[in-house]
Amino acid sequence: MRRLRLLDFSLASVTAFVYLSLYLPILLVFVLSFFSMRRGRVNWETFSLGWYAKLFKNEALGDALLNSLLVGIAAVLVAMVFATLAAINANSRPSSRSAQFLEYVIFLPFLLPPIITGLSLLIYFREAGIPRGLPTIIVGHAVFVLAIIYRILLTRLNALSRSLVDAAHDLGASNLQTFRYIILPNLRMPLLTSGILAFALSFDETMITLFLTGTDATLPVRLYAMIRVGFTPEINALIALILGFSIILTVALAYAWGRNSGSGGNLIAKTSK
Amino acid sequence: MANPETGSPAAADVGLPLLRIRGLGARFGTVEAIKPLDLDVNDGEFLTILGPSGSGKTTLLRTIAGFQPPSAGRIEFDGKDIADLPINRRPFNTVFQDYALFPHMTVRENVGFGLRVRGTAKAQLNDRVDAALGIVGLEEFDARYPSQLSGGQQQRTALARAMICEPRLILLDEPLAALDAALRRQMQNFLKTLQRQSGITFLFVTHDQSEAITMSDRICVMRSGSIEQIGTPRELYYRPKSRFVAAFFGASNIVEPCRIHETRDDATIVETPVGQFRISGPPPDSSSGLALAIRPEALGPEDETRVNTLELEVVAVSFVGSETITELRHRRTSQVFTMKTRSDPAARPPDIGSILNIGFDPAECALVTEAAN
Repeated sequence: MRRLRLLDFSLASVTAFVYLSLYLPILLVFVLSFFSMRRGRVNWETFSLGWYAKLFKNEALGDALLNSLLVGIAAVLVAMVFATLAAINANSRPSSRSAQFLEYVIFLPFLLPPIITGLSLLIYFREAGIPRGLPTIIVGHAVFVLAIIYRILLTRLNALSRSLVDAAHDLGASNLQTFRYIILPNLRMPLLTSGILAFALSFDETMITLFLTGTDATLPVRLYAMIRVGFTPEINALIALILGFSIILTVALAYAWGRNSGSGGNLIAKTSK
Repeated sequence: MANPETGSPAAADVGLPLLRIRGLGARFGTVEAIKPLDLDVNDGEFLTILGPSGSGKTTLLRTIAGFQPPSAGRIEFDGKDIADLPINRRPFNTVFQDYALFPHMTVRENVGFGLRVRGTAKAQLNDRVDAALGIVGLEEFDARYPSQLSGGQQQRTALARAMICEPRLILLDEPLAALDAALRRQMQNFLKTLQRQSGITFLFVTHDQSEAITMSDRICVMRSGSIEQIGTPRELYYRPKSRFVAAFFGASNIVEPCRIHETRDDATIVETPVGQFRISGPPPDSSSGLALAIRPEALGPEDETRVNTLELEVVAVSFVGSETITELRHRRTSQVFTMKTRSDPAARPPDIGSILNIGFDPAECALVTEAAN
């Protein structure tokens, strides 16, 4: 009994240590965002929302936030269209050359160091004479998140019985009707979950964006620029806000995933077949 | 029985078959799943395609349905060639082995799907769905999702969905395979009754010979991508043409080699290692690998109908309830026979090692060849 209890205690300690080292710095940033600093030390008597107020008056940051939202939504929508088409192709003709080729290639931008992806896209856009700006960032992010959406959709499609499509055709449905009434309804949850995940990835993406941005900065790029100039407590507030937003997305994702469990929402378990 | 190929009660008064298949073949890469074959399905009949797994029965059904492109041949429905028609324009419907119910739709939406994609008006659609649900006895369950139904209810939903567009032919791919034994028997009766009352032609695939016998008007036995024999259940049961069909329908006592000794008007006399026997009917056209097939239940104590006799030694006796199975051995040749008799509570089972005079009826055995064709 004693030994068991000791084991339990050590296990709990290790767990606590891991969680603390993960979350304490984040918590610290959050706490510090409410206080001012004097000569490099925190002045604990100055609790206020002042930094946040200052943050909201900063028009450049507001623009950056809007850009981030715009880029995220647009990139996810673009990626969704291509991922859906690619996933349906891979599912209906798994042994076709195009599906096999895609299977290998689609993950490259996701797995390559972002600096490589960003640089190649930059060279491509320059050679093609396309000016850098929000559209190029959207393309970059769409390429980056395509694989994750594709994989989640394909997992769901592969979990669906092939005979559902056969049955729909057998009952007189055209390809378009089969897509609309049978395939799309079954992709609703995976589209939602992969969309949230892809949006979160896009929202945090910095390296590729740095290469592709023109004069419009996204939030992480703006943050990066601010740090280079000098660290101000304002940055703590900004990090706290981004964190809060990311947590909301994570919770939403977990919730959607939880509701979707049992109907092919599991990303890893069903991918290999 | 001049031509058992077309021996169907329905065949006599029907001119053209509803489904006419000529030279139909299918291949997967280099594998020939169906060798070019002919098959006629008459209007209103219950035709079962029976065969072990890998015999090509499901491929044949899928080729007719349009899920598998044919490599050769014609499929005519009601006189028109439909081999090139896309699946969704073919004038019949399928019940799938896994039912293939749409998981995100209720029973009502599933059943009404065929009408919905045809743009049927809402009121008419609802009336027809109600009628179809009434036929399969699922009126109370219309708002449920497939995952909330039992296996039998899912089966009925699939059936109602296939019937909603009033096809003249329904293809059924092992629809009872997933059900337990008791429910399967119940569904067999239900399907048969439904088929008779609706007059819809059923083309039914199964690997279960007892299922085929109880339900079908005619059975088409398949083996390695070819049709082995087509006939009524009685014909296949009592007059199998090949060893394969005989064994499939339980005629497990095979005596070989057989030599035709004499052919008379109504009977054939054959010479076998275990004796000379009289067999009803003419000999088969081919005589390659000729053998005599005797059903276990055809064997019994010698009497005035069981005129073919042989002396056999009792090897083992097992009581299995209503029947008693006796293993017998022919002393000189060591040929083993299985005899199935009705259990008699008054009779004492024979002693192991005793010699019995066993006989069988000339009408209850068949001369079979290596292959039917």
